[in-house]
Amino acid sequence: MAHLTRRSMLRGSLALAAAKTVGGPYVARAAATTAAVWFAQGFVQDEDVALRKAVADYEKQSGNKIELSIIPFAPERQKIISALTSGVVPDLVDSNPAEILQLYGWQDRWVDVSDVVESQKGQFSETALVAAQAYNNVTKKRATYGVPLRAAVVPCHIWKSLVEKAGMKIEDLPKTWDAYFDFFKKVQDNLRKQGERKVYGLGFQVTANGVDPYNLFMAFLVAYGGQDIVTRDGKLHLDDPKVKQAAIKAAAYLGGAYRDGYVPPSAINWNDADDNNAFHAKLMVMDVDGTLSTEVAIKEKHPEWYYNEIVTHGAPGYPNDNAGKPVPSIVGYTNGLIPKGAKNVTVAKEFLKYFIQPKVIGEFVELGLGRWLPVMPSLAKSPFWQNPKDPHLKGYVQQGLLGPTRPDYYVFNLAMAEVRTQHVWSMAMIDVAKEGVKPEAAIDKAFKRIGEIFAKYPMA
Amino acid sequence: MDTASVVEIGRPSVRRDSIWRSLRGPLKGSEYTWALAFVVPYIAVFVTFVAYPVVYGLWMGSEPRLYPELFSDPIYQKTVVNTALYLALGVNVKLFLALLLSGFFMRPGWWMKVLLMIFVLPWAVPQITTFISIHWMLNGEWGFLNNMLYTLFHVEGPHWLNDRWTALGAVIVSHIWKWTPFWTLILLAGRMAIPLEIRDTARVDGATGVRGFVHITFPLLANLYLICTLLSTIFLLGDFNAVYFVSGGGPANSTQVLATLGIRNAFEIAQPRLGVAAVMSALPMVIPLVIVLMRKLRTAQVQL
Amino acid sequence: MSTVAVDTALPSSYTQSQAQRAVRRRRYLTTAGTALLSLVLVVWTVLPIYNMVLISLEPEGDVFTDHIWPRVASVESFWGVLTQGHWYLEHFWRQFANSFYLGAMTTLLTLLIGSLTSFSIGRLRIRHGWLVSNAALLTYVIPASFLAIPFYRIMQNYGLANNVWSVIAALVAFATPYAIFVFQEYGRSIPIEVDESARIDGASPMQLYLRIYLPLMAPALVAVGTYALLLAWNEYLYQFLLLSSKSSMTVPVALAQFLSSDQSPWNYMMATAIIYALPPVAIYYAFRRRMSAGLTMGGVKG
Repeated sequence: MAHLTRRSMLRGSLALAAAKTVGGPYVARAAATTAAVWFAQGFVQDEDVALRKAVADYEKQSGNKIELSIIPFAPERQKIISALTSGVVPDLVDSNPAEILQLYGWQDRWVDVSDVVESQKGQFSETALVAAQAYNNVTKKRATYGVPLRAAVVPCHIWKSLVEKAGMKIEDLPKTWDAYFDFFKKVQDNLRKQGERKVYGLGFQVTANGVDPYNLFMAFLVAYGGQDIVTRDGKLHLDDPKVKQAAIKAAAYLGGAYRDGYVPPSAINWNDADDNNAFHAKLMVMDVDGTLSTEVAIKEKHPEWYYNEIVTHGAPGYPNDNAGKPVPSIVGYTNGLIPKGAKNVTVAKEFLKYFIQPKVIGEFVELGLGRWLPVMPSLAKSPFWQNPKDPHLKGYVQQGLLGPTRPDYYVFNLAMAEVRTQHVWSMAMIDVAKEGVKPEAAIDKAFKRIGEIFAKYPMA
Repeated sequence: MDTASVVEIGRPSVRRDSIWRSLRGPLKGSEYTWALAFVVPYIAVFVTFVAYPVVYGLWMGSEPRLYPELFSDPIYQKTVVNTALYLALGVNVKLFLALLLSGFFMRPGWWMKVLLMIFVLPWAVPQITTFISIHWMLNGEWGFLNNMLYTLFHVEGPHWLNDRWTALGAVIVSHIWKWTPFWTLILLAGRMAIPLEIRDTARVDGATGVRGFVHITFPLLANLYLICTLLSTIFLLGDFNAVYFVSGGGPANSTQVLATLGIRNAFEIAQPRLGVAAVMSALPMVIPLVIVLMRKLRTAQVQL
Repeated sequence: MSTVAVDTALPSSYTQSQAQRAVRRRRYLTTAGTALLSLVLVVWTVLPIYNMVLISLEPEGDVFTDHIWPRVASVESFWGVLTQGHWYLEHFWRQFANSFYLGAMTTLLTLLIGSLTSFSIGRLRIRHGWLVSNAALLTYVIPASFLAIPFYRIMQNYGLANNVWSVIAALVAFATPYAIFVFQEYGRSIPIEVDESARIDGASPMQLYLRIYLPLMAPALVAVGTYALLLAWNEYLYQFLLLSSKSSMTVPVALAQFLSSDQSPWNYMMATAIIYALPPVAIYYAFRRRMSAGLTMGGVKG
């Protein structure tokens, strides 16, 4: 201690402050042949393994290097936004959340990747190609900024064992929309007669938390004929009477189910994981939830549930609308995006071109155990998806790829993404469910808010 | 010390000398260098890592058009009310409990040591997991709390998170649960600073218990308590974890606070500047606190 | 000894045995009161943690059950954490080591820089020192979670991307102002005469700092040190923003993975959290005796 003079202390403390700036140039030089890729962590380990394999194969083939960061889902979202806001961006990211393609496309922050998509043009489904576009408010034009990699859709998951316990048969599920969901109300009534107090027929996510309520409401909106709420040109059509009627019906049915006691009371404040926990605990007979994560999660530990007890959609499949016509499903896509200002756009594009070859991307999606859907119809015909022994995959791929599909509405106008994150539809549902508000009044309030949000993004 | 001889007064170097003296105050030359060396580390940290981010953050929230957009959000007003309640109750109940408990933990005995260890647990366990655990505990159908109420008392507990006020109460209680240990430790350290002689003298004079506390202990702790209150308020303003994980801001966005609203704006709507604006809209309340804090830190110390 | 105080407080009509009974009654009440308060504290503190333990012992990782005792206690989750048996936890020990390093460095630097600064301002009374402590307050004007984006940018500019020192720097920057305030406040209870008499004996500021200041500040050092340690230990936002590779991440980031999926093995998550919480508690306990050292040291020394 005696050797420490004040001068050396002063020198030392100043040196410590200056020391940190030394690392810069070294990092910059190394970036010349490497591309930094960020990707969200999978739900099952196999997804990550498959991604790493694809990356490794590409590196071998091309001689380029990929710095792959596999980041947990929610943190990745914050990281992407931090990167784009601060201007220090990686070379390639996946669209997490999906609407950042449109949100930042509006601000002209993505590199145009139509050349990459061209390389496999014929393979992609039409919905996927549309969903890869965004309206750029700087150039005032639409362009393709995303490369579709995989898709997800919102199926219905049903506990067949609970249906049978109620003395009913899954084969008796009606084929039309209202009747389909009313069926589960009867299931609950029967179960209640047997003394089961803690089971509910419908697991509607009537909550203002997470993405599920939006998906749920939009599915109902489209089924009731409100699909033109936003048209392809990005224009909002709230004054269309068909749209208004459909919205009112959706709020009435969903909120009404809660109000009438067919939805678990705690649903009003579920977060993204709570509905799955509840389904797992057999708190409800069915729910409407994105992807097959419910099934895939229990496949390993409870194969008997996977194969016998849980059903996706039910025997007739995804319900038709009340007039008997098939209802197009809204599909969400994961796209590969290249931020403007990335250091190595060339390698990023090359890797994408490699990755979307049908064999590579098909394998990648299948190794995820079917949680995600492929975006190329040809891949849906593979033995994996058409496996007759698997009770879930065929219905899922039919709904999300081979049957009628439509992109989500924020593809046409990014304001819809904000309608989702502000939970406008949730508030309407909850108004009807808990606050005793009439559906018409609830939708009036919701429409007003939607109009305000859309006014923030005037499109040419 | 500084002796100026009559000879030196007329010389020009005296002016330089007095400027120098005014800069360094009562410290001798070599001591001043030490004092300077001791502050340089923090100044360096501040300049390198604090100045730019804070200025950048202030800039992010400074665009005027953000504020009308923020205020027109239908949940903004409720959010402000919630924030005010959260701060008022969260900070004050917590610190008051911490004050009382810090006295309790001054007692001797091995049991106190064990108890303090257990008491520190909420602070030590990562808050994501504890708050999620509380969220599940409060579930109306299957949560642990209602299970316990039913098993032990045959009472059907309510759906705690379904109503704005019970949910907000749950959030406030969760926050108090998590952070009281921390402030208890700080106040405990403060109590230990009170010289033993004073405490012994007080006891001999009969000033024990409540009287001792009011007349002896609290006045000596008052300044520390006030600083803790102000700092805790500033910290709590930016803390979104309790609300985010326990009530999720629900039901129906009725328990949002400015911090969670800011996070939603920044990372879900992907408008970081609107997020910063949400917390900066609380600045009118924060600035007076900061000024009081600055005054408290500056006033000449009452030394024992 | 206490009977002396009682004698002076009670009227002289009390007999000795009545007084003794009164004292015993008061002591009994105090013990009972202490026991009751202790029980309440334990239940209050442990309840949510007990729920976590329940979940961690669930073989399915079920969150929603109807029993309050573990019906089937499975330590599979704990074993899985310790053996890195789940894919979320495959780097657990490496990440644990990173957490330790992060925690240690943050604590040391915060205590060092904080105590040096408050010594200079509060004891050496450097002129305009109040400028420094007031400027430090600016750190808290904008909450840390919103400063994440600017921090992300400057760390890239300084070339500290994906380097654990970027997180250490950010955490030290946040913890030090608080340390300075607490040390300053705590230091007021230490009479300035102590410093002055040491100076008269010829002590240099460095000796003052090491021999007088730090030992007297022991309780505050333990309290603030625990604060800095836990801040670094449990912080996750800056850690995952500023760090990218799995091997440089820390355990809170590993915990965040469980939130990625809407159907996670919650028992593993809770087991990880419980195991992870033990070191700070143990460290606090190890240093706690230093806190009570202040009990006998407070006051003017010869």
